[in-house]
Amino acid sequence: MASFHAEPTTFDRLVASRAAEQRITLLTQASLLRVNPVSHQVEPRLATAWTSSPDKLTWTLKLRDGVLFSDGVPFTAADVVFTFDALYDSRLASDMASGYLIRGKPLVVRAIDDRTVMLTFPSPYGPGIRILDGLPILPRHKLAAALAAGTLRESWGRSTPPSDVVGLGPFVLAGNTPGQALRFTRNPHYWGTDDRGRALPYLDEVDIEIVPNQDAEMLRLESGDLDVTNDFIRPEDVATLRSLASQGIVTLAEAGVGLDPSALWFDLAPQSKVAKDRPWLQREEFRQAISLAVDRQAMVDSVYLGLAVPIAGPVTPGFDDWYSADVAVPVRDLARAKALLALAGLTDRHGDGILDDPAGKSVHFTVLTQKGRTDRERTASLLAAQLKAVGIDVDVVALDTNALVGHLTADDYDAIYFGAQTSSIDPADLPQFWLSGGSFHLWDLHEADKPATAWEAQIDDLWQRQAASTDDAERHRIFATIQQVFADHLPALYFAAPKVTVAFGSRVHGVRPSVLQPPVLWNVDSLSVTPRVAGR
Amino acid sequence: MTRVGLGILALVATFAAAAPVLAPNDPATPFLNRAYAPPTRIHLRDLDGWHTPFIYRQVLADRVLSRYVDDTSTRVPLQWWRDGRLFGVGTDGGPMLVLGADPLGRDIFSRLLFGARLSLGVTALGAAGALMIGAVVGALAGVAGGWLEAVLMWIADFMLVLPAVYLLLVLRAMMPLSLGWTTIFALMAVLFAAAGWPQVARGVRGIVSTERTRDYAQAARAIGAGPFRLVGHLLPAASGFLAVELVLLVPAMLVAEATLSYLGLGFPAERPSWGTMLQDTANVRLLADAPWLLAPAALLFIVVLGLQLVLGARSERTHLKAASRS
Amino acid sequence: MTSSLVAFIARRVAAALVLVAVVSTAAFVLTHLAPGGPLTDVLIDGGDKVTVAKKWERLGLDRPLVTQLGDWVGGLARFDLGRSFEYDAPVAPIAREKAANTARLAAVALAIALIGLPVGVLTGARPDGWLSAVITPIAVALVSCPPIIGALGLLWLAVSTGWFSIAPGSLGVPSLALALPLAATLERLQSQATAEALRAPDVMAAAARGLSPQRVLWRHAAPQSLRPVLGIAGVLIGSLFSGSLAVEVVTGWPGLGQLMYGALAGRDVFLVAGCALVGAVVLAAGNLVADIVRALVDPRTRLA
Repeated sequence: MASFHAEPTTFDRLVASRAAEQRITLLTQASLLRVNPVSHQVEPRLATAWTSSPDKLTWTLKLRDGVLFSDGVPFTAADVVFTFDALYDSRLASDMASGYLIRGKPLVVRAIDDRTVMLTFPSPYGPGIRILDGLPILPRHKLAAALAAGTLRESWGRSTPPSDVVGLGPFVLAGNTPGQALRFTRNPHYWGTDDRGRALPYLDEVDIEIVPNQDAEMLRLESGDLDVTNDFIRPEDVATLRSLASQGIVTLAEAGVGLDPSALWFDLAPQSKVAKDRPWLQREEFRQAISLAVDRQAMVDSVYLGLAVPIAGPVTPGFDDWYSADVAVPVRDLARAKALLALAGLTDRHGDGILDDPAGKSVHFTVLTQKGRTDRERTASLLAAQLKAVGIDVDVVALDTNALVGHLTADDYDAIYFGAQTSSIDPADLPQFWLSGGSFHLWDLHEADKPATAWEAQIDDLWQRQAASTDDAERHRIFATIQQVFADHLPALYFAAPKVTVAFGSRVHGVRPSVLQPPVLWNVDSLSVTPRVAGR
Repeated sequence: MTRVGLGILALVATFAAAAPVLAPNDPATPFLNRAYAPPTRIHLRDLDGWHTPFIYRQVLADRVLSRYVDDTSTRVPLQWWRDGRLFGVGTDGGPMLVLGADPLGRDIFSRLLFGARLSLGVTALGAAGALMIGAVVGALAGVAGGWLEAVLMWIADFMLVLPAVYLLLVLRAMMPLSLGWTTIFALMAVLFAAAGWPQVARGVRGIVSTERTRDYAQAARAIGAGPFRLVGHLLPAASGFLAVELVLLVPAMLVAEATLSYLGLGFPAERPSWGTMLQDTANVRLLADAPWLLAPAALLFIVVLGLQLVLGARSERTHLKAASRS
Repeated sequence: MTSSLVAFIARRVAAALVLVAVVSTAAFVLTHLAPGGPLTDVLIDGGDKVTVAKKWERLGLDRPLVTQLGDWVGGLARFDLGRSFEYDAPVAPIAREKAANTARLAAVALAIALIGLPVGVLTGARPDGWLSAVITPIAVALVSCPPIIGALGLLWLAVSTGWFSIAPGSLGVPSLALALPLAATLERLQSQATAEALRAPDVMAAAARGLSPQRVLWRHAAPQSLRPVLGIAGVLIGSLFSGSLAVEVVTGWPGLGQLMYGALAGRDVFLVAGCALVGAVVLAAGNLVADIVRALVDPRTRLA
């Protein structure tokens, strides 16, 4: 029994790719290969072996023999070709399509024979074959007609009869109560086996319940109604869960340092209101000063109850070997902070303890943050209290996510403290954040592709180079440089990265917790449970 | 009983007014290593005998479990009249947490006092606004009669049927959400007044239209008093009603502030108000171990109780009747 | 039924319809005017600007407000309340289901609260008795406990003692939080009304005729004293509804209040308007029933 926060809107991940759809895909579909979220190694799934051309542009993959879809129809290379056709189909307008365009160009996929597929990249791509992770291979025999008719978007919607949702995954959809629950049963045709050759999955049935918030999930976990959730434990729940663990009701597992530290950024768009009224808010010295004025350790202790590490940038130790330890985490230095602020023209002209800008107005800004995420709300509060010590007056406003993003996209804010979930540790998968034109280039969303500053241009250039390089060592070196440039210019400030712990019912076995989502269900085909004692 | 009620209200009002003096700590300071700290106990005596009131410094024993122990090795005496505060404790002995600390280590007692200013302030302003608007509209309707009266009362009736909190919710939600706290204060006062005037108007209209037929009113009209002067004559008759209406509106508005702030649509989260402080109770599990987080709820209860005692039984029914559609 | 009663009912129904129309249109327009827009979560999940723009187009969000409003009103005739962005499903069934939950909560709370009436009759009959001495302070205390405070207090009690379940679907805490202050209010009103009714001429006449005190109380005074209580039934229904919103959010009861709050937060326009509509319908229906009962019981009110 697992829980989701929101129900999926479709069973076809190509149509909508939010968290719920991604997890359903893990249950009912399979991809050609998988990047193991714990070891970060590539593992064969539907593809068993692959070779590449010397220039790494063309890859030939051998597909697994004897694989059948859940309705018994054999799996062939034609299904792979079909999936890519659907992916790039303009009528479907897949949410996933942009992630499969290399510099705007699609991959070319050809079936050499029933068991072999050839994949050609339009230009060199660093991660290479890893791009196939997470792409579900769809059944051509079920969906080809819909693709041709242009109705693929509506197929496999929420009210689809379960028997129509056919896939190569470990489970099949058995029942669907809209808004409340989903039921999945074992796929008898599943191709996976464990090390000893036994057929996977071990589980006979997986029930998904839609539980809207983490408090409710916690209660269910405690009572034994729920076995698995997809959230990481919040610091305030640790005490309760530890006592539950000692009673043998739940198991706690540490997954490592998380990948999604929250960030504080200012509106750096050159044409925004802030640029006109309070130009000092956009100055680098201002940000550097704040980074030196905050007490990161206090945030680790207060907000995360000690279960976090102080960090300087968006890349945390949880990013494995992509993390550059050379980038120093600033130590609190109020004197230097004040000096930097003075450089930006901010001194206390009225003697009231608050700094003033050259025009004599008090230094004040508002931080927007996400309501409901207590760690963000509390960090923002602490930030406000700490910045008082250097004479900056800060107001914190907690908004719901939609309103927050609304302000972000409308360029109507001073500063925001927020973050988003990273789906991969490979920087090539995150162009939206790093590139100036990216849709998640938080501090300047509407920048389009021309960078506003020299260092942003530098990061753009470096990023393109690492994305196009097929030499792993070189990619890591370039990325370390990117992190250093980032730390030098601080477009966004980072304070602490939580150490992530996962809780699940003690009757679940085979769990290998990961810092990537979903932490427990990613290897659902290898999970097993001890049967419930009757009457529990 | 009425006097007990008045006494309670006077006490709370004094506390709120005297917040800067009574609060031992700054309400915005998050004290390090004091998250969820229990109230600091005041002792008068230890193994050595009796002393002036003193406390022990609280030491964090387990951060994750928020367990604290007292450092009984040194007595930290209470200090009086330090820095303009009535009582407090020096920085070495750790902050004096009369009602414990919230999840960020801020002193709940101090926040409660300062929060009273915001919560009671916006309520008082809103109630005053509702009374003024309601009195004017009701009196106008009662004096003018005819279509004006019908229209005004129809609007009032309509608004009375709406569930108040939903109305406030939608109205507040449609405003930009990231406003400064002073703007929010004014906005909430206006919204409360807007939500509260209909029931005042109904009652005042009823009273005024009855009074209109009385001799002294007829006399005033006979000598040519215009409508506004007439209103000035008739309004005092409604003063009793208005007084009671005030007492009825205040609890409703206090609850409205608490609800809106709890939902995040009221005061900004780190501005202490009784509603924003209640946000810390959202994690129910922690309440069992840290019940002092419920302090604002208890205080709200006390204020409403005081008002109930002042109101007494009889008038309440009259007003509910007047507020209904009969 | 007499013609005056029919006319009264007709007027009230018309008023109810107007109420529903105004409320839902206002909710629709207001939510549209609010800053921030739906579908911003697509951005968060890593979608890009083009994808969001396409979605807006698909859902018809880029058309002018009047057009959207017109479409929505047209849909009302077919009981089609539009589609929620958040849930990507038609609004009507979602709103109906959650409203049913709220109605269930309110009904249970009301049922529990009705105990206040007979208790009020008893304390009204004997204001100096021991029952009155015990009940009155409790009632005063409970009346001072608005539902949101009561809910928090009960949750704490539940978590400390384990007497109630705090799981989001359980009725215990939310219904009590709503019922207790209501019961106390009913008790106090009924108590005064009974005390007054006992002094009414016809009741005194009944007593003089030698009927037992019990009969006088329950057969004569009590029914008469119900009238003033019924008189404020509309206000009570409204306050029950109001209180339920806070209680639902605090305890996690999956009702209309929680849905509406979530929809407002997400600027899910159709869902907000749908909730407002359903809420207004429920409220109007409740008030209508209360008015009709009053009119049946007390012919004088039919003139209103």
